[in-house]
Amino acid sequence: MPDGTFDMPFYRRMHALVQGWQTLDEIPADRLPNADDRAACERLLHLEARLIDGLRLQAWLALFTEDCAYWIPADVAAADPARFVSWEFNDRRRLEERVERLEGGRAFSQIPITRTTHIYSNIEMLTQGEDGMEVLCNFLIQANLLGRVSQRAGWNGFLLRRTEAGWRIVLKRVGLFDADLSQHNNSFTL
Amino acid sequence: MTLHARQAASAGADGAPGRYDGYFRPGYVHRDIYTAQDVFDQEMRHIFGHSWVYVGHESEVPALNDFVTRTIGRRPVILARGKNDSLHVLINRCTHRGAVVCRQAQGNAARFTCGYHAWTFGNDGKCLGVPLSHAYGPDFDMNALSLRRAARVESYRGFVFASLNAGVMPLTDHLAHARRYLDEWIDRGDCLPVVVRAGSMRFETHANWKVIYDNAGDGYHPPFSHISMLRVFARRYGDVDMQYYSGNFDEAPLISRDLGNGHTLLDQRPSMHAQSAWERQHVMPGREKMWEALSEKYGEGPAREMLDASTGSGLNLNIFPNLLIIGNQIQLLEPLAVNRTVVHWFSTTLDGAPDEVNALRMRMQEDFPSFGEVDDTAQFEACQTGMECVPEMPWIDIRRHMNTDAGHRGEDGIWTEPISSDQHMRCYLDAWRRIMNAGAARTCDDA
Repeated sequence: MPDGTFDMPFYRRMHALVQGWQTLDEIPADRLPNADDRAACERLLHLEARLIDGLRLQAWLALFTEDCAYWIPADVAAADPARFVSWEFNDRRRLEERVERLEGGRAFSQIPITRTTHIYSNIEMLTQGEDGMEVLCNFLIQANLLGRVSQRAGWNGFLLRRTEAGWRIVLKRVGLFDADLSQHNNSFTL
Repeated sequence: MTLHARQAASAGADGAPGRYDGYFRPGYVHRDIYTAQDVFDQEMRHIFGHSWVYVGHESEVPALNDFVTRTIGRRPVILARGKNDSLHVLINRCTHRGAVVCRQAQGNAARFTCGYHAWTFGNDGKCLGVPLSHAYGPDFDMNALSLRRAARVESYRGFVFASLNAGVMPLTDHLAHARRYLDEWIDRGDCLPVVVRAGSMRFETHANWKVIYDNAGDGYHPPFSHISMLRVFARRYGDVDMQYYSGNFDEAPLISRDLGNGHTLLDQRPSMHAQSAWERQHVMPGREKMWEALSEKYGEGPAREMLDASTGSGLNLNIFPNLLIIGNQIQLLEPLAVNRTVVHWFSTTLDGAPDEVNALRMRMQEDFPSFGEVDDTAQFEACQTGMECVPEMPWIDIRRHMNTDAGHRGEDGIWTEPISSDQHMRCYLDAWRRIMNAGAARTCDDA
């Protein structure tokens, strides 16, 4: 489990986790989740998407753990984030600042706000110990800013943790399929 | 004659009226230089096709046969490292039917083969093979079929520039006073070599390339355009970096300088780096843990000094027409069309610095693009739209500190104005006008 402190061991764990995802074949039988956990984690993903699209960002933040990370790499090759730049690599503090900026009424990149519809599909899950779940899914985001329609696509890697309050997000890694190519205004919540 | 006096003149440097003088009047520039297709087309010839243009950094092609593909004013080019550490800048257009030969962003190749008819070229441009060449007859000369090469390629301490004009002035003359600041930027991290292999962010914006160049030297906009970011950091961290842009910030130790040939500088270092830049830097992910780890390893004082190299450089160095040094990033402007530009933000690491410092540099280099550049981009696009759509209002205002007598010539001979001055725009547009007028006079065929 990442501890969200963004020290060197954290980066090594993140790098190894993503390399594992990039080379994953069939999910080993001993890592398949039970039906209850799978259903609960799916509900969390769908709620997460719904809160973003509804611009309920404080409620969205509450889905993340204190040691969370929100990560949008700028490459598609699982590069080491300690040596390679990302579009975003936020810890909890930075993620809160991100939301605070967007909600402060002066973030010109989001005036007017970008409307989004998030669609998650191809959901795959692997248990990580008793209380951890790795989730891979494809995403398609339909967006509209100032009347211009655009799409974002790629795959998300989630790391979820079972807590007393239910399943929560420890890592959301948004892998844009064209992360290494030109991007337009992505300052909304992916 | 001071710059703003030069700007007030309507004639070219030699007193003769120039083709492009009509786009200027004292303190104003005409929207057509941002919106007109014919002006853009001529810029690609006279500016990008005739003066020095930044192509890439030597560390991007460290090994024999490494290459990256770039553009010089829309022309696709290949920057390749050849034998004996030579650097080649090749026009990436097949000498046969005009196809782009190499279509990869980067790689390692001694030769490039066009996908259409398999004409093959060495990474020095030399034509090495033409299938079934007998059909070209007995006077076939493969030596005449080399890829076109940039007429001049020079590296300044790792920064590779190219020019399609064999008669262009020496690169160091072109860099003028910018050379000193480039040196200071390069030598900042304990003189450890700057490496440009840590990825890049590419933003595509619906704006003319000069709208972005305008902004790079605009020391007036930060407290207004970036209020969303500054408020968050002030509320959480107090008087950190960039908070000095408040009140009458022209009185703060922040300056704008004219470095010659369209190059300019915004220098925030007297504010940001007055004491420990690391102490003044707002919080990045990993700040506490990395500081702790380095202090344990090296002691608190040395750790603080090392960590200074993870903070922003405190300067915006603008090298006309397409190289912008901002913080620790190398920004390259790539014009795609009159109203479309890609801004490349190349990330940098320091070779030999502790891993913790380079990791913090990565997070630092995500900081402004994510919380600041996005708001700038919104303004670029708003400016482009407003300029394109309102023909009744063709003039753009660039008057700040034109008539305040607030400027002075430093002991180093560099003209200096308060940070909120528009001298950046007046300076580079003066260079723009000279280059464009000279180009029009040389080719006699501008519209």
